[in-house]
Amino acid sequence: MPMYQVKPICGAHAETDLPTCMYKLPNIHAQKGNSCTPEHALQNGEVDPAVKALEARQDEIMRKLHELKAAVEGLAKTVTTPDADLDLTVSSSLSESASSTTFKGVTDLDNVLGKDLGALRDIVINANPAQPPLSLLVLHSLLCQRYRVLSTVHVHSSVSGVPPQLLSCLGPRHADSYARHMFQLGFTLIWKDVPKLQMKFSVQNMCPIEGEANVARFLFKLLAPYPSDPALATMVDSWVDTAFFQLAEGSTKERSTVLRALNSALGRNPWLAGQEFSLADIACYCCVLQSGSASAAPANVQRWIKSCENLGHFSPAKLLLQ
Amino acid sequence: MTKEGVQGATEEEEQQAQSKKGLKKQQKEAEKAAKKAEKQAKLAAEQQSTEEDDFAKDRYGVAAMVQSQQKLDRALVRVQDLTPEKADQLIWLRARVHTSRAKGKQCFLVLRQQQFNVQALVAVGDRASKQMVKFAANITKESIVDVEAMVRKVEQKIESCSQQDVELHIERIFVISQSEARLPLQLEDAVRPDGEGEEEGRATVNQDTKLDNRVIDLRTTTSQAIFRLQSGVCQLFRDTLTNKGFVEIQTPKIISAASEGGANVFTVSYFKTSAYLAQSPQLYKQMCICADFDKVFCVGPVFRAEDSNTHRHLTEFVGLDIEMAFNYHYHEVIDSITDTMVQIFKGLRDNFQTEIQTVNKQFPSEPFKFLEPTLRLEYTEALAMLREAGVEMGDEDDLSTPNEKLLGRLVKEKYDTDFYVLDKYPLAVRPFYTMPDPNNPKYSNSYDMFMRGEEILSGAQRVHDAQLLTERAIHHQIDLEKIKAYIDSFRYGAPPHGGGGIGLERVCMLYLGLHNVRQTSMFPRDPKRLTP
Repeated sequence: MPMYQVKPICGAHAETDLPTCMYKLPNIHAQKGNSCTPEHALQNGEVDPAVKALEARQDEIMRKLHELKAAVEGLAKTVTTPDADLDLTVSSSLSESASSTTFKGVTDLDNVLGKDLGALRDIVINANPAQPPLSLLVLHSLLCQRYRVLSTVHVHSSVSGVPPQLLSCLGPRHADSYARHMFQLGFTLIWKDVPKLQMKFSVQNMCPIEGEANVARFLFKLLAPYPSDPALATMVDSWVDTAFFQLAEGSTKERSTVLRALNSALGRNPWLAGQEFSLADIACYCCVLQSGSASAAPANVQRWIKSCENLGHFSPAKLLLQ
Repeated sequence: MTKEGVQGATEEEEQQAQSKKGLKKQQKEAEKAAKKAEKQAKLAAEQQSTEEDDFAKDRYGVAAMVQSQQKLDRALVRVQDLTPEKADQLIWLRARVHTSRAKGKQCFLVLRQQQFNVQALVAVGDRASKQMVKFAANITKESIVDVEAMVRKVEQKIESCSQQDVELHIERIFVISQSEARLPLQLEDAVRPDGEGEEEGRATVNQDTKLDNRVIDLRTTTSQAIFRLQSGVCQLFRDTLTNKGFVEIQTPKIISAASEGGANVFTVSYFKTSAYLAQSPQLYKQMCICADFDKVFCVGPVFRAEDSNTHRHLTEFVGLDIEMAFNYHYHEVIDSITDTMVQIFKGLRDNFQTEIQTVNKQFPSEPFKFLEPTLRLEYTEALAMLREAGVEMGDEDDLSTPNEKLLGRLVKEKYDTDFYVLDKYPLAVRPFYTMPDPNNPKYSNSYDMFMRGEEILSGAQRVHDAQLLTERAIHHQIDLEKIKAYIDSFRYGAPPHGGGGIGLERVCMLYLGLHNVRQTSMFPRDPKRLTP
């Protein structure tokens, strides 16, 4: 907002007698007065043509970006829907690009995990071999695409024997696993006799996180921030809870209710939380798979299951169930 | 006169009265004595008569000293085999008298064999006489007896014994070796948990008394369990390594020069010169590797002349040492050692549960937890964990004992394991023969292993190149002349190798969660103890 120009109240070059006992400083007002003059020339709503040109250029760039976004979304839809006629090799190579478009928000490890102390930041998950946490394995493979993750599997002495597929559930050993300091993130899975899944990160500053749903939320934050729209965020949260409490642990009746709810939600949108693939889809897909109700699911759910499988994120979970 | 007469009369009367009283007294006393005599005579007579007609005379007594006069084919049953299946069988048994308690016409004995015990009963009846019961009641504790008895099932479980479902009805009992009546310590006192005795005003035995009378202390169930478990550790160590293709070697214990540094060695006179007691078999292990034995281990005594009186230092202990050649990375060595340790822990968990429970009764502790494969952390991670907990220390500082313990607690909290490996120590805090890290000259290819937050093994990839070894020795300002033989052993081609050693006593102590290494050393040697 331009301001009216006012004439100086006193003479700019008034002579004053300064005492000699003080340090002399240059006049700080004199300089400012000079630099102000060109700005004062533009008054009464006049706009600098240079700013005008800049605005026009920005509008043009925004328009181009919107076009690009629309184009990419169109492309992603053809890739992630089962209708698209794709052979396996193409879908797996494209799924990576799809996933990178899915989780757009850039997250910083320091934001979620705290300050980097110059050593491997190790996330420890205690899980009961009787209930393998499928959703966490899926999140793990997504984390591996994003970060350099050191994955290790241990068996705690409270458990006597663990089937071999549980020992290899985090994939083959990384070639550099002998040098822990070369990784950004540690993912340590311990098969242990625990009543409830547990995650520990910083013993000093953080209490353990209990329950697969909560750990899944924590891990997902390392991939993408929660939706900024509170309604959408609540919806994702609610689907996650529904998945772990009603699909995985509920009775047959509860399960079929959830499947109907899934069906109607998936009738309106391609994914559970609207247009974008989210944690809600990961949690629900894994719980549907684990509860063995995939084959008896209604039509929209079937379509959604196929879309999920086309993404290629769920192979670790499927391997474990075989 | 009358007065006198009166007086005299009264005196007389008094005298008479007195004498009467005295008479009565005397009479009474005489009666008493007579009665006593009668009683004694009666008793004696009774004794005589009963001794004469003691029908069970040859069913008890002190047996003649066993000088191998005869070779009996008598089958002796073990106490631990006394189960309800043996009920109503007549068996022979040799055991110690743990306790005895006479009660009228019965005498209850608890017979002990190592950590197992069983209740036995001598009761007056058609098999045992009164005298036999008396004899049984008078057998001193800890005496060894031979017993013929009938095994009987009991209706109520005997809580105080290890064999709870049966008791023995003794028909014959002979003392084989008698114990002195006064024991320097009572076995029940020696196994009483700390603190419990104080509350109930009962005695506990302090460590020095126990160690001074080790023979009796070792008979306690706790000691029996500890040393059975220790034997298990040795056995599992040997078995696991033999299965992995290791060769057991024996190394000399009298050596000419101090193997590490030079301090902390015992000097012994050796004819006209002096020699030292080996403080580590490391040099010899490495020489075996250079001699193409590929993978070796040894079990043997190690001597340290450290004047430290702590709960975990001994001047002589049993070292379990491993050394192996590897192909490309020293983690092959770590993997071998940690897997061996895990096999030992698993073996103990699966096969020594009763021993662990027995020790826990006296010294309660949390069960030992571990991960498979073993957790390996790097030194920088440990530093980050400690710094997060508020400890201030430099990048190249060694871990102090309190920090070691704190780190142990932090690791336990996060990973819930009592056993882990700390890798990549700063080069500055390790001996000269440690191989430096190829990427960062500040660190080294060395590792420590911890149990319950205490260091049990310190090992490294060794420098196997004479040139580099000389450089490292000069850097550490070590007199090259003194270690010439050591350096020379690498001049004729040496495979890359690494290893480490653990102390048997310390591993047992930490596995069981005990607080003093003297409890897991059979006859401990420390700066203040050379006997027994």
